[in-house]
Amino acid sequence: MIVELGHYALIMALATALLQSVLPIIGARTRDAGLMGVAPAAAIASFVLILFAFVALTVSYVTSDFSVKNVWENSHSMMPMIYKFSGVWGNHEGSMMLWLLILVFFSALVAFFGGNLPATLKSNVLAVQAWITSAFLTFVLLTSNPFQRLSPAPLEGRDLNPILQDIGLAIHPPMLYLGYVGFSICFSFAVAALIDGRIDAAWARWVRPWTLAAWTALTAGIAMGSYWAYYELGWGGWWFWDPVENASFMPWLAGTALLHSALVMEKREALKIWTILLAIMTFSLSLLGTFLVRSGVLTSVHAFATDPTRGIFILCILVAFIGGAFTLFALRAQTLSPGGLFAPISREGALVLNNLFLTTATATVLVGTLYPLVLEAITGAKISVGPPFFNLTFGPLMIPLLLAVPFGPLLAWKRGDLWAVTQRLYMAAGAALLVSLAVIYFATGAPVMAGLGIGLGVWLIAGSLTDIAMRSGVGKVALPIMWRRFKGLPRSAFGGALAHMGLGVSVIGIVAVTAFATENVVTMKPGETTVGGPFTLQFEGLKPNTGPNYTELQGRFIILRDGQPVSHLTAAKRVFTARQMPTTEAGIYTNGANQLYVALGDELPGGGVVVRVWWKPWVTFIWFGAIFMSLGGIVSLFDRRLRIGAPAKSRAPAVAVGQET
Amino acid sequence: MTRKQKRLAIISGGVAVIGAAVLLVLFALQDQIVYFHSPTDIVEKQIGPDTRIRLGGLVAEKSVVRGTGTKVEFVVTDTANEVAITYTGILPDLFREGQGVIVEGAFEPGNPVFVADSVLAKHDENYMPKEVAESLKAQGVWQGEEK
Amino acid sequence: MMFWILAAVMTVAVTISLLVPLMRPRKKDIDAREFDVEVYSDQLREIERDINIGSLSGQEAEYARAEVGRRLIKASKAEADHAAASTDLTRFGRLAVIIFLPFMALAGYLAVGQPGMPAQPLAARVEPVPDSNSNIQALVAQAERHLASNPQDGKGWDVLAPIYLGLNRMHDSETAYRNAIRLLGSTAARQAGLGQSLFSQSGGIVTAEVQEAFQKAQDLQPDNPLSAYFLALGLAQEGKNEQARADFVKLAENSPPDAAWMPLVREHIQRLGTVAGMGTDQAQGQTAVVIPDSAAPGSDAPGPDAPGPSAEDVAAASQMSNEERLDMIAGMVAGLDAKLRENPDDSAGWLRLIRSHMVLGQRDKAGDALSRALDHFGADNADRQVLLAMASQLGLEPKELKQ
Repeated sequence: MIVELGHYALIMALATALLQSVLPIIGARTRDAGLMGVAPAAAIASFVLILFAFVALTVSYVTSDFSVKNVWENSHSMMPMIYKFSGVWGNHEGSMMLWLLILVFFSALVAFFGGNLPATLKSNVLAVQAWITSAFLTFVLLTSNPFQRLSPAPLEGRDLNPILQDIGLAIHPPMLYLGYVGFSICFSFAVAALIDGRIDAAWARWVRPWTLAAWTALTAGIAMGSYWAYYELGWGGWWFWDPVENASFMPWLAGTALLHSALVMEKREALKIWTILLAIMTFSLSLLGTFLVRSGVLTSVHAFATDPTRGIFILCILVAFIGGAFTLFALRAQTLSPGGLFAPISREGALVLNNLFLTTATATVLVGTLYPLVLEAITGAKISVGPPFFNLTFGPLMIPLLLAVPFGPLLAWKRGDLWAVTQRLYMAAGAALLVSLAVIYFATGAPVMAGLGIGLGVWLIAGSLTDIAMRSGVGKVALPIMWRRFKGLPRSAFGGALAHMGLGVSVIGIVAVTAFATENVVTMKPGETTVGGPFTLQFEGLKPNTGPNYTELQGRFIILRDGQPVSHLTAAKRVFTARQMPTTEAGIYTNGANQLYVALGDELPGGGVVVRVWWKPWVTFIWFGAIFMSLGGIVSLFDRRLRIGAPAKSRAPAVAVGQET
Repeated sequence: MTRKQKRLAIISGGVAVIGAAVLLVLFALQDQIVYFHSPTDIVEKQIGPDTRIRLGGLVAEKSVVRGTGTKVEFVVTDTANEVAITYTGILPDLFREGQGVIVEGAFEPGNPVFVADSVLAKHDENYMPKEVAESLKAQGVWQGEEK
Repeated sequence: MMFWILAAVMTVAVTISLLVPLMRPRKKDIDAREFDVEVYSDQLREIERDINIGSLSGQEAEYARAEVGRRLIKASKAEADHAAASTDLTRFGRLAVIIFLPFMALAGYLAVGQPGMPAQPLAARVEPVPDSNSNIQALVAQAERHLASNPQDGKGWDVLAPIYLGLNRMHDSETAYRNAIRLLGSTAARQAGLGQSLFSQSGGIVTAEVQEAFQKAQDLQPDNPLSAYFLALGLAQEGKNEQARADFVKLAENSPPDAAWMPLVREHIQRLGTVAGMGTDQAQGQTAVVIPDSAAPGSDAPGPDAPGPSAEDVAAASQMSNEERLDMIAGMVAGLDAKLRENPDDSAGWLRLIRSHMVLGQRDKAGDALSRALDHFGADNADRQVLLAMASQLGLEPKELKQ
């Protein structure tokens, strides 16, 4: 019965969302308090309903209720509990449910914490959120209903795709969706401002934390996905410029731009129109990503069973929302009053530069991702646009941007002094140069570019440290005052510095792996050795093993350094029983920031096996950098300045002094 | 600087960056894209040596021969025509005779054998690379599970 | 019933939660512009704090303070923009909520939902149910689970393989036999079973694979009639009639005259060239026959109390020509029908009858049988549910069915 109740709750949620789409807008137009009051109530009601439906589906998965078609298709009674649980969103229907749940969760948060928003803004925002909710609920109910039943119920399920049977599935999609869907709030705020024809002062203050939260989650989600693909697929790569990766990377780039322009808007009320446009673009790219992944236009691990009607439906949603929002933008943008002025050399100017480069880079990724699809539609020629294209276009755009990053936070608002900032950065520049030279000198045979690349990473890290040091007044004031200033710095200053530092760390990792990784494909027989970086790998032999729902052939290795064993490593080829599907489990030995990565190939007659060994120096820096970036986002989120007080009900506006803590 | 000049400076900077990006994209699209062909296309179109292409089809039955070390030879077919492939490295998990595959690489001058540097097979048993499915449909071999 | 009560509670709760803001007596509303004032004064306080800790210096602080101050003044001067309450609109809102919400939810659910259908967690289905239709399937599922975790258990595969064969799950039985052979080694029985699985999957053609399996069985146990039979059949299909006939005759000579496969063997011999002196008693009243199961394997194999077809019978039925097979089945079905008229309590029998009619393409007769069965079983009978479930699975509408 719980299944059917969940189904009912889902339909009820659609009815609620439809009311929420209409009534608050009328209320906001006519300034009717009653109708506007429906918005938060409906938002919370839809959240509770969809949460209930999601729980019902989860219960079906956990109890292996194969009378639910979705469970039968994607679960198996033998699966470990964690995968039964995460398997809920390991398929198209279930992941759309997660998408919806997160969407209404964000709406409910706006409803719940929106006391400090003007009622009209809040009503419009929640109504726009309800449009998105209604569109996707209709999509789910009509084309991808997870509550379809089977009778009589089969006795055993078809199992989850083995590649997805990993802890990564428990983390990667929820994080990614928190990011994708989090940008819907920015979109709703942008559209609400356009509907209302004015931007409240509270607008930017609200949009910034939402952008931050969504960006933080998306950063973590992408990094997790990258690491997952790295160890699960056994190809040893961490980023393939696969269209599906690009689908998540484009909203990230646009979201990063949004994060920075919202800063200008909050502080200076400048770049209003641009920020609104960027908010619309960011969510549009998220929708585009959803379309690319779900429609079957692309084939990849992410493309669940494809069904043309789904693709067309999502395309319609995409066109309606993007087209509608841009039309509204064209009609209403000029009614928004322009904001503060600034000189080209200023903090604002630096942030404009940041936006310019990030959006251009987004555009190149977009071209590379869509060009094959468009070309095939027009000429029928099938092409693939691979890493060389992106390295050639995206790379050169990033270098000037990364070089400029340390300057931004040090420039003053409105009108800055570039020369003074350069002087403050001389230490950072020195450190970067020194490291570059050291790398070129010591790493024998290292290309000059690699040295410069690592120098660039150091430049970013040192630049961030300089920023914090300068704000604390290092070298200018006495130590106790410095400490007091340091403690008094807003959290967002630390957050920003941490994120920029993370960027530097990732750059170092990327450059080091690209320049210094070694790869080695050999056939090995038990007892034979091969070299991976400073280590020697000795093959012990193959050994069969059984897991809960798979059997595997493990290849065991001893890792030797200078002839002394230091560790063991196991790589495996698994066969999942239910689907008879083989997968490769890479063996990874982490040594400091470096990794030794071993993947097994085919068994050869005569007891040998093909082994692929990579030595990846500093590879973990790539993901540690992303973690720093996310942490930076979290630290910024806790900035007290992002919390705004609501005006007290009966207080005269002129003396309004809240007791904000 | 006046307001007008400031605006001009920002806009011209923007145009410069976007212009550079457009040039890069155009250049990269000329040089860095890889066309997909079926074995029949190869026979019909006479692809020259050293042009990087992607080639897709089925791995012909009983064509996989392991050479010394990690070298593998096999034949890709769309049932009408065949192309011989050599590849050095590890084959994907789901690489099998009779299954769809996409290889990327080039022909060597004066040699009808295609030298692949990457081999892509499917991700799970329901998946057939889209390009391969289409070119096989063109040959009337494969009727996919279309709804 | 419980479902509808809970659904009603849910509907009422949501409706009320949306009505509350429309009903509640209105408190004095806050002017939208006051929010702007609040934000700007907040910013001013921040600037003061930054100046205090020294992170904002003289001139910069002045600029910032002046700018925010200007915005603050502008915002305080802006005209008031109070929200009001319009009774007409509020009434419209209330009506919209009360009418639209329950109607839409109910209509939508009735269109796509299956209100009567209970949740069926696996745990609740596998353990009890002794003596029920799903008994064999439950055992098979348990065995499958066991084997999934111990795929090297050859004994398990060996036990399961013939069961699959009996349930007509030919692909599964092939896998099971192959595993048993791999783990426990080859025996005549296993090879013959594998051969039958392959034979059924190939649609009644003795392919090279089938031949290979039976040849191995033959080598291991030369007097195995099953492998002799299939090898002979293979020869017949290849057009080597003489050789095939000779082998069939040999098989007939080596078999006891009342063996189950004798009628078939005789038929073949007759077809391949008349053989004098061999009587042909038609198989009569034989209940064990395999009805070709065109539906998906696994989900709907015959129940346990259907007389289990022996391996030979499977072979016998599946090697006949299509017409022969249909004739034979038609006879069987008629017999079954007659039996059920005498003893209508046999629900498994009804299931077999209906399915048989469906397989034979006799939709009307299947519908007729279903109606008769439903008439016999009372409204609250569990067997009735089973019948209905199967009917819906077969896409069968019971005639004049009164719920």
